[in-house]
Amino acid sequence: MIRLVRGLWPAGGAVLLALSMAGAWSVAADNDLKLGLDALKSVGREGANHENAAPAWKALVGAGGEALMPALAAIDDADPRAGNWLRSAVSAIAEAEARASRPLPAGKLEAFVKDGKNAPSARRVAFDLLAKQDPAAKDRLLPGFLHDKSPDLRREAIAAELAKLGKADPAAAKAGLQKLFAASRDEDQVGAIAKKLEEEHKSPVGVTEHYAFINRWHVVGPFPNEQGKALTLSHPPEALTEPKGIFKGKGDAEVAWKHHATDDKMGMLDLTRAIAVHKDAAAYALAVVTAEKETPAEFRVTTQNAVQIFLNGKKVFEREEYHHGEVLDYNSGAGVLKPGPNVIVVKICQNDQKEPWAQKWRFAARVCDPTGGPLPGLALLDAAGKPVPLGHNPNPTVRKEDDQ
Amino acid sequence: MTKTFAAVVLAVAAAPAVAADWAQFKGPNAAGVSDEKGLPVEWGKDKGIRWKTALPARGVSCPVVVGNRVYVTCASGKRDDQLHVLAFDATTGRELWRRQLLATGPTSCHPKSSMAAPTPVADETGVYALFASGDLAAFDADGTLRWYRSLVGDYPTITNQVGMASSPVLVGDKLIVPMDNDGESFLAAVDTRYGKNVWKAARPKGINWVTPLVREAGGVTEVLFAGPSGTTAYDAATGQQRWVYKEAPGNIPTASLADGLLYYPAGGVSAVRLGEAGVEGKPVMTSRLARPGMASPLVYGGKVFTVDGQGFVTAVEAKTGKLLYKERTKLGEASASPVAGDGKVYVTSEKGVTLVIPADKDTFDPLATNDLGEEVLGTPAISGGSLFIRTDKHLYRIGK
Repeated sequence: MIRLVRGLWPAGGAVLLALSMAGAWSVAADNDLKLGLDALKSVGREGANHENAAPAWKALVGAGGEALMPALAAIDDADPRAGNWLRSAVSAIAEAEARASRPLPAGKLEAFVKDGKNAPSARRVAFDLLAKQDPAAKDRLLPGFLHDKSPDLRREAIAAELAKLGKADPAAAKAGLQKLFAASRDEDQVGAIAKKLEEEHKSPVGVTEHYAFINRWHVVGPFPNEQGKALTLSHPPEALTEPKGIFKGKGDAEVAWKHHATDDKMGMLDLTRAIAVHKDAAAYALAVVTAEKETPAEFRVTTQNAVQIFLNGKKVFEREEYHHGEVLDYNSGAGVLKPGPNVIVVKICQNDQKEPWAQKWRFAARVCDPTGGPLPGLALLDAAGKPVPLGHNPNPTVRKEDDQ
Repeated sequence: MTKTFAAVVLAVAAAPAVAADWAQFKGPNAAGVSDEKGLPVEWGKDKGIRWKTALPARGVSCPVVVGNRVYVTCASGKRDDQLHVLAFDATTGRELWRRQLLATGPTSCHPKSSMAAPTPVADETGVYALFASGDLAAFDADGTLRWYRSLVGDYPTITNQVGMASSPVLVGDKLIVPMDNDGESFLAAVDTRYGKNVWKAARPKGINWVTPLVREAGGVTEVLFAGPSGTTAYDAATGQQRWVYKEAPGNIPTASLADGLLYYPAGGVSAVRLGEAGVEGKPVMTSRLARPGMASPLVYGGKVFTVDGQGFVTAVEAKTGKLLYKERTKLGEASASPVAGDGKVYVTSEKGVTLVIPADKDTFDPLATNDLGEEVLGTPAISGGSLFIRTDKHLYRIGK
């Protein structure tokens, strides 16, 4: 039995503000549940629709275990904001069921986790709930998640397989590590597996290529920059589709494109060497990436400087922050590569900070899928216009610790 | 929300916390001072602990205590993106509820920090938890979600690769949310019932870890918020800027209000008198030897106490700035701010060692050195005659 209390959400409809009683789930309750989930998904910017969402949350949680799977499934097409209204409801429902000694629907949870069409973050929640109730679920499910869209499930699957490889014979261990390297995305796992392959099995792997770093660039600069204006002070190169032209740069000096390649394992191009040490300066780096077919992609830049990213003349990301860290992929935009050549331009801006730790002017950029993995059918044009694999780097170098 | 429930929420939200509460970062108005008596002197891994309970993950935020509830935030996962809000029974340490969120903003930060760096603030109706990822949630005391906001969803340029740690505070039915960063920076008042902006004051871009202070000035409640360009006073009702004192910039440690003075950390510690219209005259006290480091200065018992990143514990006279002692202790680095009550000053290191110092002595003569053997970066809370210390693994109630 479901006891319904008529309330005010969502706008235009008299619907439930309901609290559950034990019993069968009815069609009417399903409809009310949908309206409640819709109310949660309607939350917007700066608290929009919170008046409707708050009672809906309470009703959803009050409905108990029957609402667990619908709430999880609703995360699939919810935006991140609404996702947290739903996620917190799921945790509250699960907690209440545990207190009442009622088991969660393990079969449904497992099916939900295994269904790759569900949102990765929702599957992660379902996996955690399932594993808490059924610890054996980890061993059962993780081997299937080596190539999962959920970064956390993939990470756990790789960690579990790595642990197993410790007992394998050398040949099996090497083959296993190679398989795990291809699956790995997180920097620590990529690094650890690559190191094992190289040091224990004398089988080096291409980390630069694995990350699909762009390591051949046409660079031009310096142009004027000023902290606070990096995102609005535009210069001609960002609209270009080929590395041609001579420009008036910083201090009215003429600047022209130069080709630069980096053999840094993590794709870092040092602009203080490619151009020179400059303060209050902007540089542009242009690369041409070819695609065999239309390919949705992410364009990720690692830098401690202000950055803008352009794909075929369209800005896909920007951020102005200086010298607060150099986290891998901190800057990321999305776009669609068209078949044939695509022009990627990255603008990297330096400010005028004087501290010794604030002198780096450098970046690394890569093109990847949403998991951070390489995309098929892409190539980078080298200085002669010849296609080479993205990140192709036969002699990778590792930056010294004091240069990190 | 029913009208009755709403009325209850509003009525209770407006009610001040009781004296024993330690409802926000550094307790009542971030002073770090409790009026309670009978506070503990000695404890260790196996003694003096009333209860100890495991936490699901690390965090550097402080526990807060209101009524019989202790609230704690944690963050977990490789990306530090699993955000947890937990409530515990203060009497027994039993976990009452926990809720989980997923970070919607960037989660990079200094390795020492965490997405659970801002300290939550609570009242009798519930808790308001801000995370360094810009996720902000209000839960009723029973764990019901009152509202949730993604501040990075609302203001997408918010960014701070070092990680944010400024804590929200409550002024009546408004939650004051500090958000100084390298993108859209602001100080906002959010209504506690629905989480909507009451006002939002633009701030200069720049990262900052300071927590706002609150004071009454001529019938106006002011929010004082220090940033790179000084301390600015805002009308808590409207967000209108009232005055700026450029000589008191803020970065990491938070200032203290005591005896009509603002004790602020800036190349040491200085104090200026505050009148109804703002700062009056020049500093009445300055000590260059009292250096707060990461931890905020403590004003207590006529003295200013500081601890820095090398374990130097310093005490100066609050009125004159005269140095009483500057002792190089074996504490090592300290991120937690000193707190005080019952005539004792508690200085806790990152290694989980707490020095208990008598506040009335003009020489350095600790009463006890207590080692929990676990990492502590959050400032302890004082309530119910006990210290509540959150380590990277556990929440402890120490004392009676």
